[in-house]
Amino acid sequence: MKKIIILTVSVLLLAACSTQQTLYSWGNYENASYNYLKNNDELSTQELIKTYQEIIDKQKGKRGAVPPGIYADYGFILLQANRTEEGKAMLLKEISLYPESKVFIERILKMTEK
Amino acid sequence: MKKPILLLVFTATLLTGCSTMMSVIPKSEAYKGMYAEKPLSILLMPPINKSTAVDAKEYFHSTLSVPLANAGYYVIPAFLSMEILKRESAYDAELFLDTPLKKFGEVFGADVALFTIIHKWDKTYGMVYVDVEYIIKSVKTNEILYARRGQINYNTTVQSNVSGGGLAGALISMAVTVAATAANTAATKYVDVARIANAYTFKDLPVGAYGPYNPEEPNEMAGLKEFTVTLNSQYKTY
Repeated sequence: MKKIIILTVSVLLLAACSTQQTLYSWGNYENASYNYLKNNDELSTQELIKTYQEIIDKQKGKRGAVPPGIYADYGFILLQANRTEEGKAMLLKEISLYPESKVFIERILKMTEK
Repeated sequence: MKKPILLLVFTATLLTGCSTMMSVIPKSEAYKGMYAEKPLSILLMPPINKSTAVDAKEYFHSTLSVPLANAGYYVIPAFLSMEILKRESAYDAELFLDTPLKKFGEVFGADVALFTIIHKWDKTYGMVYVDVEYIIKSVKTNEILYARRGQINYNTTVQSNVSGGGLAGALISMAVTVAATAANTAATKYVDVARIANAYTFKDLPVGAYGPYNPEEPNEMAGLKEFTVTLNSQYKTY
Protein backbone atom coordinates (compact mmCIF):
# COMPACT_ATOMS: atom_id res chain seq x y z
CA MET A 1 0.00 0.00 0.00
CA LYS A 2 2.75 2.35 1.02
CA LYS A 3 4.53 1.53 -2.18
CA ILE A 4 1.51 2.46 -4.23
CA ILE A 5 1.18 5.80 -2.50
CA ILE A 6 4.82 6.60 -3.05
CA LEU A 7 4.52 5.59 -6.66
CA THR A 8 1.45 7.74 -7.18
CA VAL A 9 3.14 10.70 -5.58
CA SER A 10 6.21 10.16 -7.73
CA VAL A 11 4.18 10.04 -10.90
CA LEU A 12 2.21 13.13 -9.94
CA LEU A 13 5.33 15.07 -9.06
CA LEU A 14 7.04 14.01 -12.23
CA ALA A 15 4.01 14.91 -14.26
CA ALA A 16 3.99 18.34 -12.66
CA CYS A 17 7.53 19.04 -13.68
CA SER A 18 7.55 17.59 -17.14
CA THR A 19 4.28 17.97 -18.97
CA GLN A 20 4.02 21.75 -19.12
CA GLN A 21 2.98 22.98 -22.51
CA THR A 22 5.33 25.65 -23.78
CA LEU A 23 4.28 29.05 -25.14
CA TYR A 24 5.29 28.04 -28.65
CA SER A 25 6.00 24.90 -30.61
CA TRP A 26 9.21 24.95 -32.62
CA GLY A 27 9.13 21.82 -34.73
CA ASN A 28 12.56 21.08 -36.07
CA TYR A 29 13.76 24.66 -35.54
CA GLU A 30 16.82 23.98 -33.43
CA ASN A 31 18.30 21.30 -35.66
CA ALA A 32 17.39 23.17 -38.85
CA SER A 33 19.05 26.40 -37.71
CA TYR A 34 22.09 24.47 -36.56
CA ASN A 35 22.41 22.73 -39.93
CA TYR A 36 21.91 26.02 -41.73
CA LEU A 37 24.69 27.67 -39.73
CA LYS A 38 26.96 24.72 -40.19
CA ASN A 39 26.46 23.96 -43.87
CA ASN A 40 24.89 27.09 -45.33
CA ASP A 41 24.05 25.25 -48.55
CA GLU A 42 20.94 24.77 -50.66
CA LEU A 43 19.76 21.71 -48.73
CA SER A 44 20.04 23.27 -45.28
CA THR A 45 18.41 26.48 -46.53
CA GLN A 46 15.46 24.51 -47.91
CA GLU A 47 15.21 22.59 -44.65
CA LEU A 48 15.11 25.83 -42.70
CA ILE A 49 12.46 27.34 -44.98
CA LYS A 50 10.34 24.23 -44.58
CA THR A 51 10.75 24.41 -40.82
CA TYR A 52 9.66 28.06 -40.66
CA GLN A 53 6.60 27.23 -42.75
CA GLU A 54 5.70 24.40 -40.41
CA ILE A 55 6.10 26.54 -37.30
CA ILE A 56 3.71 29.04 -38.87
CA ASP A 57 1.18 26.53 -40.23
CA LYS A 58 1.17 24.03 -37.39
CA GLN A 59 1.61 26.17 -34.31
CA LYS A 60 0.70 24.14 -31.23
CA GLY A 61 1.99 26.39 -28.48
CA LYS A 62 -0.04 27.67 -25.56
CA ARG A 63 -0.29 31.16 -27.07
CA GLY A 64 -1.42 29.89 -30.43
CA ALA A 65 0.78 32.55 -32.01
CA VAL A 66 3.82 32.35 -34.24
CA PRO A 67 6.94 32.76 -32.04
CA PRO A 68 8.90 36.04 -32.01
CA GLY A 69 11.37 36.41 -34.85
CA ILE A 70 10.10 33.53 -36.99
CA TYR A 71 8.37 35.64 -39.65
CA ALA A 72 11.32 38.04 -39.70
CA ASP A 73 14.07 35.45 -39.97
CA TYR A 74 12.00 33.55 -42.54
CA GLY A 75 11.72 36.80 -44.50
CA PHE A 76 15.46 37.34 -44.21
CA ILE A 77 16.23 33.88 -45.61
CA LEU A 78 13.77 34.48 -48.47
CA LEU A 79 15.39 37.84 -49.24
CA GLN A 80 18.75 36.14 -49.40
CA ALA A 81 17.32 33.58 -51.80
CA ASN A 82 16.20 36.51 -53.98
CA ARG A 83 12.55 35.86 -53.21
CA THR A 84 12.25 39.56 -52.44
CA GLU A 85 8.50 40.10 -52.47
CA GLU A 86 7.76 37.05 -50.32
CA GLY A 87 10.55 38.08 -47.99
CA LYS A 88 9.17 41.58 -47.54
CA ALA A 89 5.70 40.20 -46.91
CA MET A 90 7.09 38.07 -44.08
CA LEU A 91 8.88 41.04 -42.54
CA LEU A 92 5.59 42.97 -42.55
CA LYS A 93 3.90 40.06 -40.80
CA GLU A 94 6.47 40.26 -38.03
CA ILE A 95 5.60 43.91 -37.47
CA SER A 96 1.88 43.29 -37.38
CA LEU A 97 2.21 40.39 -34.94
CA TYR A 98 4.93 42.02 -32.81
CA PRO A 99 4.71 45.84 -33.04
CA GLU A 100 7.81 46.13 -30.85
CA SER A 101 9.80 44.88 -33.86
CA LYS A 102 8.81 47.88 -35.96
CA VAL A 103 11.92 50.01 -35.39
CA PHE A 104 14.27 47.25 -36.46
CA ILE A 105 12.23 45.66 -39.25
CA GLU A 106 11.46 48.97 -40.93
CA ARG A 107 15.17 49.60 -41.04
CA ILE A 108 15.61 46.28 -42.85
CA LEU A 109 12.79 47.05 -45.26
CA LYS A 110 14.46 50.34 -46.09
CA MET A 111 17.71 48.52 -46.80
CA THR A 112 15.90 46.31 -49.33
CA GLU A 113 14.72 49.42 -51.20
CA LYS A 114 18.24 50.46 -51.94
CA MET B 1 10.85 -2.09 3.03
CA LYS B 2 13.90 -1.69 0.91
CA LYS B 3 12.03 -0.95 -2.27
CA PRO B 4 9.99 2.03 -1.09
CA ILE B 5 13.16 3.66 0.16
CA LEU B 6 14.80 3.09 -3.17
CA LEU B 7 11.81 4.59 -4.88
CA LEU B 8 11.92 7.59 -2.62
CA VAL B 9 15.57 8.17 -3.31
CA PHE B 10 14.86 7.74 -6.97
CA THR B 11 12.04 10.29 -6.86
CA ALA B 12 14.18 12.73 -4.96
CA THR B 13 16.94 12.38 -7.51
CA LEU B 14 14.56 12.99 -10.37
CA LEU B 15 13.05 15.98 -8.65
CA THR B 16 16.46 17.47 -8.08
CA GLY B 17 16.97 17.05 -11.77
CA CYS B 18 13.93 19.11 -12.60
CA SER B 19 14.42 22.01 -10.25
CA THR B 20 17.25 24.48 -10.22
CA MET B 21 19.20 24.65 -7.00
CA MET B 22 17.77 27.58 -5.15
CA SER B 23 19.34 30.43 -3.29
CA VAL B 24 17.64 32.04 -0.31
CA ILE B 25 17.09 35.31 -2.11
CA PRO B 26 13.66 35.94 -3.61
CA LYS B 27 13.52 36.86 -7.27
CA SER B 28 12.01 40.23 -6.38
CA GLU B 29 15.33 41.07 -4.76
CA ALA B 30 17.79 39.16 -6.93
CA TYR B 31 16.25 40.44 -10.15
CA LYS B 32 14.85 43.72 -8.88
CA GLY B 33 15.68 45.49 -12.13
CA MET B 34 13.78 42.94 -14.21
CA TYR B 35 10.61 43.64 -12.27
CA ALA B 36 11.19 47.39 -12.29
CA GLU B 37 11.92 47.71 -16.01
CA LYS B 38 9.72 44.84 -17.26
CA PRO B 39 11.73 44.44 -20.44
CA LEU B 40 9.81 43.18 -23.44
CA SER B 41 12.39 42.73 -26.17
CA ILE B 42 15.76 41.05 -25.86
CA LEU B 43 18.68 41.44 -28.23
CA LEU B 44 20.98 38.42 -28.35
CA MET B 45 24.52 39.72 -28.45
CA PRO B 46 26.99 37.50 -30.30
CA PRO B 47 28.38 35.16 -27.65
CA ILE B 48 31.81 36.00 -26.30
CA ASN B 49 33.91 32.91 -26.81
CA LYS B 50 36.82 32.47 -24.45
CA SER B 51 36.89 28.72 -24.89
CA THR B 52 38.98 26.69 -27.27
CA ALA B 53 35.92 25.47 -29.18
CA VAL B 54 36.16 27.60 -32.32
CA ASP B 55 32.60 27.21 -33.56
CA ALA B 56 31.10 27.94 -30.18
CA LYS B 57 30.04 31.48 -30.97
CA GLU B 58 27.53 30.91 -33.76
CA TYR B 59 26.23 27.61 -32.53
CA PHE B 60 25.66 28.84 -29.02
CA HIS B 61 23.90 31.90 -30.39
CA SER B 62 21.45 29.71 -32.30
CA THR B 63 20.28 28.03 -29.11
CA LEU B 64 19.28 31.17 -27.22
CA SER B 65 16.04 32.21 -28.96
CA VAL B 66 13.89 29.27 -27.97
CA PRO B 67 14.28 29.37 -24.17
CA LEU B 68 13.86 33.17 -24.03
CA ALA B 69 10.81 33.22 -26.31
CA ASN B 70 9.31 30.38 -24.30
CA ALA B 71 9.91 32.48 -21.18
CA GLY B 72 7.64 35.16 -22.65
CA TYR B 73 10.07 37.64 -24.18
CA TYR B 74 10.18 39.17 -27.60
CA VAL B 75 13.48 37.89 -28.92
CA ILE B 76 14.80 40.11 -31.68
CA PRO B 77 15.11 37.92 -34.81
CA ALA B 78 18.31 35.95 -34.31
CA PHE B 79 19.64 35.53 -37.85
CA LEU B 80 18.62 38.98 -38.97
CA SER B 81 20.10 40.77 -35.95
CA MET B 82 23.31 38.73 -36.17
CA GLU B 83 23.69 39.80 -39.81
CA ILE B 84 23.23 43.48 -38.93
CA LEU B 85 25.61 43.25 -35.98
CA LYS B 86 28.21 41.78 -38.30
CA ARG B 87 27.70 44.52 -40.88
CA GLU B 88 27.91 47.21 -38.24
CA SER B 89 31.15 45.76 -36.90
CA ALA B 90 29.49 44.88 -33.65
CA TYR B 91 30.22 41.18 -33.88
CA ASP B 92 32.59 41.23 -30.93
CA ALA B 93 30.31 41.73 -28.00
CA GLU B 94 33.19 42.04 -25.53
CA LEU B 95 33.60 45.59 -26.86
CA PHE B 96 30.17 46.49 -25.53
CA LEU B 97 30.12 44.77 -22.16
CA ASP B 98 31.09 47.96 -20.38
CA THR B 99 29.92 50.62 -22.80
CA PRO B 100 26.57 52.41 -23.11
CA LEU B 101 24.05 50.24 -24.97
CA LYS B 102 21.67 53.00 -25.98
CA LYS B 103 22.53 52.58 -29.64
CA PHE B 104 21.30 48.98 -29.55
CA GLY B 105 18.01 50.23 -28.23
CA GLU B 106 17.71 52.68 -31.09
CA VAL B 107 18.68 50.32 -33.90
CA PHE B 108 17.01 47.13 -32.72
CA GLY B 109 14.26 48.41 -30.49
CA ALA B 110 15.78 46.34 -27.70
CA ASP B 111 14.96 46.90 -24.04
CA VAL B 112 17.74 44.62 -22.84
CA ALA B 113 20.77 42.91 -24.29
CA LEU B 114 21.80 39.38 -23.39
CA PHE B 115 25.53 38.86 -23.22
CA THR B 116 26.83 35.33 -22.99
CA ILE B 117 30.41 34.46 -22.17
CA ILE B 118 31.61 30.96 -22.91
CA HIS B 119 34.48 30.62 -20.46
CA LYS B 120 35.12 26.96 -21.00
CA TRP B 121 33.98 24.20 -23.32
CA ASP B 122 36.11 21.13 -22.83
CA LYS B 123 35.39 17.66 -24.04
CA THR B 124 36.88 14.58 -22.54
CA TYR B 125 35.78 11.02 -22.96
CA GLY B 126 32.19 10.81 -21.80
CA MET B 127 32.00 14.33 -20.40
CA VAL B 128 31.66 17.90 -21.60
CA TYR B 129 32.69 20.57 -19.11
CA VAL B 130 31.02 23.88 -19.77
CA ASP B 131 31.38 27.19 -17.98
CA VAL B 132 28.96 29.80 -19.26
CA GLU B 133 28.00 33.21 -17.96
CA TYR B 134 24.72 34.93 -18.82
CA ILE B 135 24.30 38.68 -18.32
CA ILE B 136 21.17 40.64 -19.14
CA LYS B 137 21.81 44.39 -19.25
CA SER B 138 19.33 47.21 -19.60
CA VAL B 139 20.02 49.28 -22.71
CA LYS B 140 18.52 52.28 -20.95
CA THR B 141 20.41 52.28 -17.67
CA ASN B 142 23.23 49.88 -18.56
CA GLU B 143 22.54 48.11 -15.32
CA ILE B 144 22.84 44.36 -14.95
CA LEU B 145 19.32 43.04 -14.43
CA TYR B 146 20.12 39.34 -14.39
CA ALA B 147 23.38 37.45 -14.16
CA ARG B 148 24.19 33.81 -13.59
CA ARG B 149 27.23 31.70 -14.20
CA GLY B 150 27.13 27.94 -14.40
CA GLN B 151 29.64 25.14 -14.44
CA ILE B 152 27.71 22.50 -16.29
CA ASN B 153 29.15 19.04 -16.43
CA TYR B 154 27.38 17.12 -19.13
CA ASN B 155 27.57 13.37 -19.03
CA THR B 156 27.49 12.07 -22.59
CA THR B 157 27.51 8.42 -21.63
CA VAL B 158 23.90 8.48 -20.48
CA GLN B 159 21.82 7.36 -23.42
CA SER B 160 18.44 8.71 -24.34
CA ASN B 161 16.80 5.31 -24.09
CA VAL B 162 16.38 3.93 -20.65
CA SER B 163 15.87 0.20 -20.83
CA GLY B 164 15.62 -2.63 -18.42
CA GLY B 165 14.73 -0.40 -15.52
CA GLY B 166 11.45 -2.17 -14.88
CA LEU B 167 9.14 0.13 -13.00
CA ALA B 168 11.83 2.78 -12.69
CA GLY B 169 12.43 2.66 -16.39
CA ALA B 170 8.76 2.99 -17.10
CA LEU B 171 8.57 6.00 -14.82
CA ILE B 172 11.43 7.69 -16.56
CA SER B 173 10.05 7.15 -20.01
CA MET B 174 6.74 8.50 -18.80
CA ALA B 175 8.37 11.61 -17.42
CA VAL B 176 10.95 12.27 -20.03
CA THR B 177 9.94 12.49 -23.62
CA VAL B 178 13.21 12.13 -25.36
CA ALA B 179 13.20 13.50 -28.85
CA ALA B 180 15.07 11.33 -31.24
CA THR B 181 18.14 13.20 -32.30
CA ALA B 182 18.80 12.69 -35.96
CA ALA B 183 22.55 12.57 -35.89
CA ASN B 184 24.53 11.79 -32.80
CA THR B 185 27.65 13.48 -34.03
CA ALA B 186 30.06 15.23 -31.77
CA ALA B 187 28.92 18.57 -33.16
CA THR B 188 25.25 17.93 -32.51
CA LYS B 189 26.16 17.17 -28.95
CA TYR B 190 27.54 20.65 -28.79
CA VAL B 191 24.15 22.28 -29.34
CA ASP B 192 22.49 19.70 -27.12
CA VAL B 193 24.71 20.74 -24.26
CA ALA B 194 24.10 24.41 -25.03
CA ARG B 195 20.34 23.90 -24.94
CA ILE B 196 20.51 22.13 -21.63
CA ALA B 197 22.78 24.79 -20.13
CA ASN B 198 20.36 27.51 -21.29
CA ALA B 199 17.29 25.69 -20.06
CA TYR B 200 18.81 24.99 -16.66
CA THR B 201 20.07 28.54 -16.20
CA PHE B 202 16.96 30.37 -17.38
CA LYS B 203 14.62 28.32 -15.18
CA ASP B 204 14.53 31.16 -12.68
CA LEU B 205 14.26 33.99 -15.21
CA PRO B 206 11.24 36.16 -14.43
CA VAL B 207 8.53 35.51 -17.02
CA GLY B 208 8.23 38.10 -19.79
CA ALA B 209 5.21 39.97 -21.12
CA TYR B 210 3.92 37.10 -23.27
CA GLY B 211 4.30 34.49 -20.59
CA PRO B 212 1.69 33.41 -18.09
CA TYR B 213 1.45 36.01 -15.33
CA ASN B 214 2.05 34.59 -11.89
CA PRO B 215 1.59 37.06 -9.02
CA GLU B 216 3.57 34.76 -6.72
CA GLU B 217 6.62 34.71 -8.93
CA PRO B 218 8.55 37.57 -7.25
CA ASN B 219 8.39 35.63 -3.98
CA GLU B 220 9.91 32.50 -5.47
CA MET B 221 13.57 31.93 -4.70
CA ALA B 222 16.12 32.88 -7.32
CA GLY B 223 18.60 30.26 -8.42
CA LEU B 224 22.18 30.42 -7.22
CA LYS B 225 24.14 33.16 -8.93
CA GLU B 226 26.99 30.77 -9.46
CA PHE B 227 26.25 27.09 -9.68
CA THR B 228 27.73 23.75 -10.56
CA VAL B 229 25.58 20.95 -11.84
CA THR B 230 25.95 17.61 -13.58
CA LEU B 231 23.32 16.91 -16.20
CA ASN B 232 22.73 14.52 -19.06
CA SER B 233 20.55 14.15 -22.13
CA GLN B 234 17.56 13.25 -20.00
CA TYR B 235 17.29 16.78 -18.68
CA LYS B 236 14.14 18.22 -20.11
CA THR B 237 14.82 21.50 -21.88
CA TYR B 238 11.16 22.55 -21.87
